[in-house]
Amino acid sequence: MPETNLMLTLPKRPIRIAMATALSFAIAALIAAVLWAILAAATDASGHSRVDIAHLLRMTSLQAGLTTILSLLVGMALAWSLNRLRFPGRDVVVSLFASAIVTPGMVVAFGLLSIWGRNGWINQLSQTLFGIGFDSPAYGLSGILLAHVILDGAFAARILLARLDSIPATRLKVGQSLALGPLQRFRLIDWPAMALSLPGLGAVIFLLAFTSFPIVLLLGGGPANQTLEVAIFSAVRLDFDLAGAVRLAVTQIGVCALVIVLASAFSPVPAALGRSAQPRWRDGPTTRLLQWGVLIVSVLAFALPLLSVLYDGIVGGFGRIIAQPAFWRATATSILIGTASAALTLGLALILALGRSAARHPLARTSLGMPAYAYLAVPAVVLSLGFFLLVRGLGVPTGLAAPFVVVGANSLLALPFAMATLGPPLDAIVRTRGKLIRSLGLTGWMQFTRIEYPLLGRDIGLMLALSFCFSLGDLGVIALFGTQDFQTLPLMMYRALGSYRNNDAAAIAALLLIGTIAAFVLLPRLIERLAHAGRR
Amino acid sequence: MTHMVKFSSIALAVLLAGTSGIALAQDKPNLTIYTYDGFASDWGPGVPLKQGFEATCACTVTFVGADSSIGTLRRVQLEGDTTEADILLGLDTAIAGEARATGLFADHGLSLDNLVLPEAWTDAQFVPFDYSHFAFMHDIDTMPEAPASFEELIALPDTIKIAIQDPRSATPGLGLLLWVKAAYGDRAPEIWAGLKPKILTITREWSESYNLFLEGEADMVLSYTTSPAYHIHDEDDHSIKAALFSEGHFPQIEVAGILKSSDQQDLARDFLAYLASPEGQQFIPTTNWMFPVVDLGDRLDPSFAGLPQPEKTLTIPEEDITANSAAWIDEMLAAVQ
Repeated sequence: MPETNLMLTLPKRPIRIAMATALSFAIAALIAAVLWAILAAATDASGHSRVDIAHLLRMTSLQAGLTTILSLLVGMALAWSLNRLRFPGRDVVVSLFASAIVTPGMVVAFGLLSIWGRNGWINQLSQTLFGIGFDSPAYGLSGILLAHVILDGAFAARILLARLDSIPATRLKVGQSLALGPLQRFRLIDWPAMALSLPGLGAVIFLLAFTSFPIVLLLGGGPANQTLEVAIFSAVRLDFDLAGAVRLAVTQIGVCALVIVLASAFSPVPAALGRSAQPRWRDGPTTRLLQWGVLIVSVLAFALPLLSVLYDGIVGGFGRIIAQPAFWRATATSILIGTASAALTLGLALILALGRSAARHPLARTSLGMPAYAYLAVPAVVLSLGFFLLVRGLGVPTGLAAPFVVVGANSLLALPFAMATLGPPLDAIVRTRGKLIRSLGLTGWMQFTRIEYPLLGRDIGLMLALSFCFSLGDLGVIALFGTQDFQTLPLMMYRALGSYRNNDAAAIAALLLIGTIAAFVLLPRLIERLAHAGRR
Repeated sequence: MTHMVKFSSIALAVLLAGTSGIALAQDKPNLTIYTYDGFASDWGPGVPLKQGFEATCACTVTFVGADSSIGTLRRVQLEGDTTEADILLGLDTAIAGEARATGLFADHGLSLDNLVLPEAWTDAQFVPFDYSHFAFMHDIDTMPEAPASFEELIALPDTIKIAIQDPRSATPGLGLLLWVKAAYGDRAPEIWAGLKPKILTITREWSESYNLFLEGEADMVLSYTTSPAYHIHDEDDHSIKAALFSEGHFPQIEVAGILKSSDQQDLARDFLAYLASPEGQQFIPTTNWMFPVVDLGDRLDPSFAGLPQPEKTLTIPEEDITANSAAWIDEMLAAVQ
């Protein structure tokens, strides 16, 4: 088995494995402590759970499964097209796709409705041109799928594009000299590069869809389309049935853990890794036509809702909102928290991903990969509540602990995405260059600074952008910890919505989106430049 | 890497310094009020009320906003005796019974006989600070004729869509449930089944469904008879109206209460007295877009003057709500699922 031989060439990195193991245990302990804190606070254990768990599981799994399959297919097609095509503004388009995943779900959902809704652009256009309207696909199961595929398909495309972009030029040259057709090229070159990311990516998307909350409630149409997350929310909020909520949460964690184990069990496909090069190998005209078609349809489907958010915000109350000191305070708080959580996420993700890539045994790899997903598996309402209780249990005033909890929680939230970004390239480095590293006798630190860090530049930048923007868009954690003096932009947006100030909310949403896109354009370039400078 | 670690620790230190500075600058007594986000927002009543009360009390008022009014109650329940909250502000009469049953609230000891409310106020623990009746909004530009009852609404073609809120997460959602129950009693499941084809979606919070209505996605939305005042006052838009139903309407009366565990009982009582006085009440209409609980006379903003109001107010005794709301929610969910 070539796989086994590769394993044998892995450099021994006991420190990396030890650090990753320690971190894994720490995260597991944190989750356990959160659940324990809630159980300890549950005074009334007789709680009546009025939930049909089997029905919820069925509906949620169906929805999440469809979302995953569709998102991966769309993501692959889009990444394939973007990898081949060059046009002015390509970077902005790529960043726009990436920003969808971190924009608050509510913002995207409303953007979606302004395109696809009953009163949306498409329906209005159809009314004007043909005099016929149609039933909006934006509500019910089709609405949930549409919103999820827009968010998650765009995210998948961004991650897969990074994989395609890092196919080494030499490999493409060999392929070209063999005169591979487009299909053969996809099968022999593109597919192996992307396949490494698919299980992890699929797991992330499944978990996102499985635990989706605001989108399911807004577009789902009613209680028929619900997730376990909603049941847990209701147990905590309405019934104050904390013991019941923990029972439901454990059910959800169980299902999610199963998905994570299944995803991690797929043996990774070895892939070469190198710097991206301008594509000199152009596909034939038919293929290019197909690529343009995929790109144009995707841009329309993915970018129009986001553009409509931008448009509403700019037309809305831009001037009024930036004249407010509170807006600038919230902006500063958001940026500071985003920066701190991005830095923390980078640390956590590197420890886990380096340890995981150094582990030989599949079981060890699985268990080192799992903690990254922990935060996606645990319902947000349970987490924020548990953190809140833990902080109180430690005797720390919540106001004082708020920034730390928000930063920590946001980092954990971004961790699965960080791992999906950094894990596959690190695995690939160790697998393709392990022999070289061993023969040179490099230490772990030298392996990182001389080989891994310079090669990871763009990926680290993408990961920092992801976690920065996740934190920028967070509404779940801040909701329980925010005060009048400690508020972020999303919280301010939500408060504006609650005070009838829809224009102000739209303006804040648009500014959030602009900040997000800027981060995605600038951070990967900046970090790549830094990484290369470090090598000189 | 090391740079990153250093940077993050500096950032955290800056963050910590920022908040501890706030925590330390307190030589005056502090009054902490838990409320919902909209109330604590820069546009909400929290800002002028804080300024107005601080001018008289030699104290600091701190509003802590939770994501919903029921969220504030849950937070206080979790914190128990150790809560920093002196006052909980923003519950309504539909959940007051449950709040009372926690035993966390002290008597307010105020005489509240000059209040103007749909019903006489005798509550020993909760002080009302605003009210409005729940109602469905329509836009006269797109829907000139509004239905005048639930039955007329049901009789409309199914292309007419309404947006409502989940009774498990939003107080207006619970309010609609009680409204239907108060108006139709045992016929409530039948009304819900009739409404089902009209329901575009059931959102988690009021703001989401109201947005759907403003975007033209829903023809009607469950909100308040006072909601048009915002559009008249801030946007000079007179096209949004509340549909009045012949069955009568269920009111939302928002209340505040003092926590037993507070060591600022006198200060808290003073604040509630201020809140329910004409001085405090003058801020409510144009920030929270609800009716004040005292007669403000000329000081009530003109945007409220012409708002049509229901002739009949429906009520359900607090004990019945507390005892049955869970079962009624199940009944409603079963009918619309």
